Amino acid sequence: MAGVNDNVPDITASISAFLTAKGVTPTQAWLQSFMPTVRLNTPIAALQKTALFRLLVTDLTTSIVKSPTSCFPPNMTEPQVKDGQVRGPVTAQVLDVEDISRSCWSQVEAIEAQERGETTKGREIIRVVPDENNLDSSTQAEQKPSGVHKLLLQDANGAKAYAIELAPVNGVGMQMAIGVKLVLRDFNVARGVVLLEPRSTEVLGGKVDVWEKKWREDRKAVLTQKAGVRDEAP
Amino acid sequence: MTRILCVAEKPSIARAVSNHLGGGAVNTRNVRGNVYIKNFEFTYNFQPWGQCQVTVTSVSGHLLTNDFPSHLRKWTSCDPSALFEARIDTYVEEDKKPIAENIKTQARYADKLYIWTDCDREGENIGTEIRSVAQQGNQRFNNLANTVRARFSNVERAHIVHAAQNPIQLDERQSNAVASRIELDLRIGASFTRNLTLNLQPMLQQHNGGQRSQVISYGSCQFPTLGFVVERYFRVRNFIPETFWAIKVMHEKDGIKVSFRWARNHLFDRMAVVILFERCLTARTARVTKVQTKPTSKWKPLPLTTVELQKCGSRFLRMDSHRVMQIAEQLYQKGWISYPRTETDQFDRGMNLQAIIQKQTQGGPWAAFAQNLVNGAFSQPRSGHHNDKAHPPIHPVNFVNPTQLNQEEQRVHEFVVRRFLACCSEDAKGSKTEITLLYGSETFTASGLVVLARNYLDVYPYDRWTSSQALPDFREGEVFEPAEARIHEGQTSPPGYLTEPELIGLMDANGIGTDATMAEHISKIKERQYVNTQPHTRPRRRDGEDDEADDEEGEAPEPAEAGGRGRGRGRGRARARGRGARGGRDGRGPNTGVQEFVPTTLGVALVEGYENMGFETSLTKPFLRKEMEQNMLLICQGQKTKAEMVHETLEQYRAVYVHSQRRLDSLQAAVRKYVLGEGG
Repeated sequence: MAGVNDNVPDITASISAFLTAKGVTPTQAWLQSFMPTVRLNTPIAALQKTALFRLLVTDLTTSIVKSPTSCFPPNMTEPQVKDGQVRGPVTAQVLDVEDISRSCWSQVEAIEAQERGETTKGREIIRVVPDENNLDSSTQAEQKPSGVHKLLLQDANGAKAYAIELAPVNGVGMQMAIGVKLVLRDFNVARGVVLLEPRSTEVLGGKVDVWEKKWREDRKAVLTQKAGVRDEAP
Repeated sequence: MTRILCVAEKPSIARAVSNHLGGGAVNTRNVRGNVYIKNFEFTYNFQPWGQCQVTVTSVSGHLLTNDFPSHLRKWTSCDPSALFEARIDTYVEEDKKPIAENIKTQARYADKLYIWTDCDREGENIGTEIRSVAQQGNQRFNNLANTVRARFSNVERAHIVHAAQNPIQLDERQSNAVASRIELDLRIGASFTRNLTLNLQPMLQQHNGGQRSQVISYGSCQFPTLGFVVERYFRVRNFIPETFWAIKVMHEKDGIKVSFRWARNHLFDRMAVVILFERCLTARTARVTKVQTKPTSKWKPLPLTTVELQKCGSRFLRMDSHRVMQIAEQLYQKGWISYPRTETDQFDRGMNLQAIIQKQTQGGPWAAFAQNLVNGAFSQPRSGHHNDKAHPPIHPVNFVNPTQLNQEEQRVHEFVVRRFLACCSEDAKGSKTEITLLYGSETFTASGLVVLARNYLDVYPYDRWTSSQALPDFREGEVFEPAEARIHEGQTSPPGYLTEPELIGLMDANGIGTDATMAEHISKIKERQYVNTQPHTRPRRRDGEDDEADDEEGEAPEPAEAGGRGRGRGRGRARARGRGARGGRDGRGPNTGVQEFVPTTLGVALVEGYENMGFETSLTKPFLRKEMEQNMLLICQGQKTKAEMVHETLEQYRAVYVHSQRRLDSLQAAVRKYVLGEGG
């Protein structure tokens, strides 16, 4: 076979370099388990993409190299620090996402409407009717700002931190999968909470199926409980 | 001389047509057996036929009745499912016999039959009923060319004369659509009602101490209508209030205190708000990033449709939709307003609106305003998206001095006139200033409105738009230390029960009933004791999801509403309620005159019983009925025959019938739970 792809160490190195450039440096163990599953005569670019795809659906704590810069600094979540700066780039995965601009109960109601099949195509039920009268030109164009999301992040060490969107970040939202990977560079941390901004946040994508599944299953119960708990809080 | 028999849908229209066409020379004759129906005789020159001997009479709504043969009318006479295919007899009910006899007799001497029923589907069907009775009296009407119909949408003189001179053909398709609906309503209504009643009555009877309980009727419109009421009821009942936090910024300049709204509105996470607030404080100063003043306008209302009239009736006139329609019908029959059953919200370009406005300059509190429109302030009405191609939007036809009308008529009439004049005026004009601040990482805005020209608002007090407090002069780039910044805590509040305007809006949006029948379905579910009504009291001033500065004065009036628009389901409902609540005018106290619906235990049980059957096309959801309405439209467009449509629809309902028959336990469990109060 007259390919260039027949040198296993070279290919492995090339894949590793590619992943490192993306912010997810794989462990040797992960690479070793990955290599036998691919055909070496595949073009290298495709192999790199496959590797990235596979890595992004893993649990980061088991698959990437833990270096001091790629993880949250040990004291980052200290609530005393009003405004900290972290250089990074830190690689993290999303364990939870919530829209804190909407009440939990309104989200439960939306889930229930979906359960009742009201969002199924052809079976939609309109529950809110826009009033065609009473428009005025000035209020027409105004749009509701997009939601504000709060995430629970985890780095390769398994350390967890909350993050909120200081400004809307592309790829962050309720549609994102649990287990999605982010790379954070030059970001601010206030009272232990990471502040997400477009300039500092890169969403790599990916997900972890089992987490995602569990999160979806539990979501209604979690929201319901939260709505209730908040009510009882003084 | 050619002899013409004209038949209207109701006596008042027959009288109006006769007066307009007959001039002063009309002979009025009684009809044996019915004191309301008269025959009016005169001569008239119809263009196609020359001088004619004319008799104008009328029916009183539908002339024919459809029902199962007598041996199937007893409830226990057959399995209810047999009614899906049982024979249906068409006949004249006893009390309608004198009317039918009169038409048969008159038809004997007539050369042409001229139908004057209302121009809508129902009228088209009544027209074919009249024709079929006339055929029994005179075979010449078997030739369909001998029957024509008048196209008219009000009973103003010139309009009637024009209609008389321009006959058209009866629309068989529309008539067929109605015939399909009648058949389906009969079969589906009877089979489900019998089944429901036979199965649930024994349980209810026991509960009532052996007294026979009421019939539990099913109607393909009633149930989805009830479904909306119950859905809202559960939303109110299940609601859980939650705390939210917002950042409030206030600054005083030029002696004016201005409150700024947080662009994030409010968040449900205290920690996040505290962090963002702290960054504001750390920044110490805020910078004005934008000062924008731009012209704005409040749009005049759209031309009036039936649905809008019904909604506005309960909002502004303190009448339920059913009553508003009855009164509008009276005003139409007396010739003061156009036909009140219309979906059209656009005026035909060719219509002489100026002439209609001119008539309203004769008097009434709006005379001066109308005069001003005639004098040049007229502006072409906005056009909506609906046109039923049969009737124009509801508008005044002739001037009537309000003192000639009774109290309720006055209110509806005044609304129709004011709405029409408002449509023909300019939008209200204003100027809106918005100031945007960046404070820390957070954006805040304040806006102020100056109303420059009220225009249509002067004749239309049902809308409100007022200037806010003036804003001080801020410059872009200006930096200042806000006088006050604080975290405000608030709580979400539950939605209100469904109000009548909301229910009508939902029925309309989901295709339940036609504009003309919605009010009837609503009054049906009241009559059946599936729902009760109570006066809608203003909930809290602000809806829960919109944290408005209710303790502060200087805020612009409408931003809360702007936020509500374009939101997804589950959020916008708060706005809808806000609307209803705000609809009342000043100084009316908390009771807005709007009715709200609360389901009875039976109403709740029926909806939950069906929903728990786990059937996708639950009878309490709108789809099946919506499909039926759409199919009726296809018949009208000639894309489906009556036979096809009836067959398809019956099969759908039969499937639901069979399914619900198997899951009767679900209904019975719901009745036990809610009506009999046996926990579970």
